[in-house]
Amino acid sequence: MTPVFFELKNAVVGIAGLGGLGSNVAVALTRLGPGRLILADFDGVEESNLNRQQFFRDQVGMHKVDATLVNLHRIQPELDIVGHKVRLDPDNIPRVFEGCDVVAECFDRSDQKQMLVETVLTRMPETFIVSVSGLAGYGRSNDIVTRRISKRHILVGDGESATGPGVPLTAARVGIAAHHQANAIIEILMNEFNQPRF
Amino acid sequence: MATLRINGTDREFPEEALPATLLDLLNTLQIDQATVVAEINGAIIERKYFAQTPIQEGQSLELVRFVGGG
Repeated sequence: MTPVFFELKNAVVGIAGLGGLGSNVAVALTRLGPGRLILADFDGVEESNLNRQQFFRDQVGMHKVDATLVNLHRIQPELDIVGHKVRLDPDNIPRVFEGCDVVAECFDRSDQKQMLVETVLTRMPETFIVSVSGLAGYGRSNDIVTRRISKRHILVGDGESATGPGVPLTAARVGIAAHHQANAIIEILMNEFNQPRF
Repeated sequence: MATLRINGTDREFPEEALPATLLDLLNTLQIDQATVVAEINGAIIERKYFAQTPIQEGQSLELVRFVGGG
């Protein structure tokens, strides 16, 4: 498959969490053809994931890292993908995502989001982070925005729609946020890293 | 009055009510500190230092609050 942007063939992108956000970001980036994707998750595919995550019914019970590898390689068999079956924490994040130009924060829990973003910003001085806050529910498509918080931190979301009782996560609205994320990652790679590197 | 710039908007506090630390400020704003990535004047403040980071008039703060869902 021909990458859309030949300039991105050296790009290395990390995806932290392979849920509604991460599984969609992974597919969008795979079709772009980056140099390498580094995936991390600790969980297996569950029946309840199928309402929004890019897995298939016959993959229920598989580890998400394995299922994602299979799915991405069906799109682009030659893509360089590294999978880590690990629960991310401040100690292993710099190691797992070593060499990444950008990391996508694709967690579900708010405290985990905080932990990842803070860790990348404080311990990985060369790496950008694209995070998400506020994507639950449906409708209000245009409330989901992409903002640059600082040089290396881009934030997607409406900033307030938390998941909870009576507030479901839907494939459509999670997908909007995930594609904001993927699009922000492409923009970062084109603007910040689009230089020959040897 | 003492002014803090929080997420791009000026917020005024009576001098005696200016929160002493970043953690005090988050409590005043009723924000769960476990969900916040904070910058003061462009520098990241790690969460473990929130309670010992003094707040001073005129500072510019970026408080990114994460809500669940992904």
